[in-house]
Amino acid sequence: MTEGGPVTHVVKNGRHNRPELFSREKLHKSIVAACLSSGAPAGNAESTARRVSDEVLVWLESRPEVTSNDLRRVAAKALRTYHPDASYLYEHHRSIM
Amino acid sequence: MPKHSFDYDLIVIGSGAAGSAAATIAARAGKKVAIIEEDTFGGDSPNWGNIPTKALLHAARVYDEARHGSRFGLRTATLGYNYPSIRTWKELAVKRTGAANNRRFYENNGVSAFHGKAHFLTPHEITVNRRHLSAAYFLVATGSSWIAPNIQGLSDVTYFTPRTILETMRPPKSLLIIGGGQYGVEIAQLMATFGTKVYIAEQAGRLLPHQDAEVGETIERVLTEQKGVTVLTHSRVLSVAKDGLGKKILVSRGGTEKFIRTDEILVAAGRQPNVDLGLENASVTYTAKGIEVNDWLQTSTKHIYAAGDVLGRDNHTHSALLESKVVAHNILERTNISPDYTATPGVIFTTPEIATVGLTEDDCRRRDISINKALVPLSIIARSNTADFRDGFVKLISDKKGVIIGGTIVAPHAGELIHEIGLAVKYSLTATQLADTPHAFLSWAEAIRVAAQKLAG
Repeated sequence: MTEGGPVTHVVKNGRHNRPELFSREKLHKSIVAACLSSGAPAGNAESTARRVSDEVLVWLESRPEVTSNDLRRVAAKALRTYHPDASYLYEHHRSIM
Repeated sequence: MPKHSFDYDLIVIGSGAAGSAAATIAARAGKKVAIIEEDTFGGDSPNWGNIPTKALLHAARVYDEARHGSRFGLRTATLGYNYPSIRTWKELAVKRTGAANNRRFYENNGVSAFHGKAHFLTPHEITVNRRHLSAAYFLVATGSSWIAPNIQGLSDVTYFTPRTILETMRPPKSLLIIGGGQYGVEIAQLMATFGTKVYIAEQAGRLLPHQDAEVGETIERVLTEQKGVTVLTHSRVLSVAKDGLGKKILVSRGGTEKFIRTDEILVAAGRQPNVDLGLENASVTYTAKGIEVNDWLQTSTKHIYAAGDVLGRDNHTHSALLESKVVAHNILERTNISPDYTATPGVIFTTPEIATVGLTEDDCRRRDISINKALVPLSIIARSNTADFRDGFVKLISDKKGVIIGGTIVAPHAGELIHEIGLAVKYSLTATQLADTPHAFLSWAEAIRVAAQKLAG
């Protein structure tokens, strides 16, 4: 994890690459994109992404290494409270697109 | 086709009763085994659960008996206690088990021990402190942890759990216990014996709602009349707030709301299985109640087994141990076996002790089984007179053919006495057979014979 928190590595799908450092910014952007795609206004998408990222960071605190699937699942679960449609899109975008 | 090679034959996640037996059995059978523990090696029971609680309860019982010895002609006016010394005794008891903090035990048995949080990456691979370990088989024995109920303000105040209250420097002056189950009742008696004013808030209509009604009623009477505990059944804690050095708790009871002020709060409102270890990455099916397994304790991913509290069934250490041995057998042998829970006893170490085995009357009613029952109060046997102890009973349940299918004992040493009924349940003995077995005069077990005689008609 960057920005002062404990460092978490993310094991990518397919395992072709080495684990990469968790990036809050990357997570934030992906949630914003899911919110915008499901029709949320830009400001709302930003604030939702901020809150969801905070929740994911709390979950990551005791975990030195997770998979990208874990991140998607946990973020989607947190996003479900604020924006169920965006959550569905976020969780299933690989199978939808 | 090349055979897969793994770092280990078996990786056990969790070193409590559900994990340790399988790890050592597999290692002794020549398998390459690793065990991973996130918390303290040995698990909850020896470190933070049964052993320390029962060591403290034993000290409390000795103190309480001595305090009330004047009726036998003993002088007890100067009797007192030193709580730090009682804690030292508790720590000695924990240390002496050999199971607490026993990392070296595993290493001496050829088991690789890792300290850290295990997280599944794939069905055959986990990560522990960023170290990737693979195995042919896994046993998930991660146990359970105390639930923090959704009560307004609870997250803003400090509160005890049955684990943390054992580490307190001295008993609080007053304590509200949320939850009147096994742990709530045990700690209520412990703290009340050492002079704490205890309140218990339980949502159900009686204490110990999972036991038969007579059990909850008896223990409520004992706690209220002998220990000055205030039992609040049908009560829900609505909110908690700081109040000076103490806490102000809003309790709703029978439609009326009232504030209770106590120094401390203990939350003993149940446990939840520890399932947050990336089970999705291993395609293991689970719910909030626990991991789903088949009769052989295999999860939805066949090479991953689960045992103990994480199954969400019961939280007996002896059941976890049984399941661990079953898993070891099913991994090592060609034929599979399943755990037999038929005569698994449950014991609550209050005074008097509470012990059950087989079906309770409530279980039978729920399953629509027609039964005969006999309840014998302790006061009718001779030992009750010589020990001057009358609170308790023996209850036996048989089917219509007279075969014993369950029993409940509330009595001193009920935890020992229950095994006689356990044998009867396991081997389908009849009430007549139990009644015909000689029982020593002046033993507490006489109450079992009398109950069996009553049941046999």
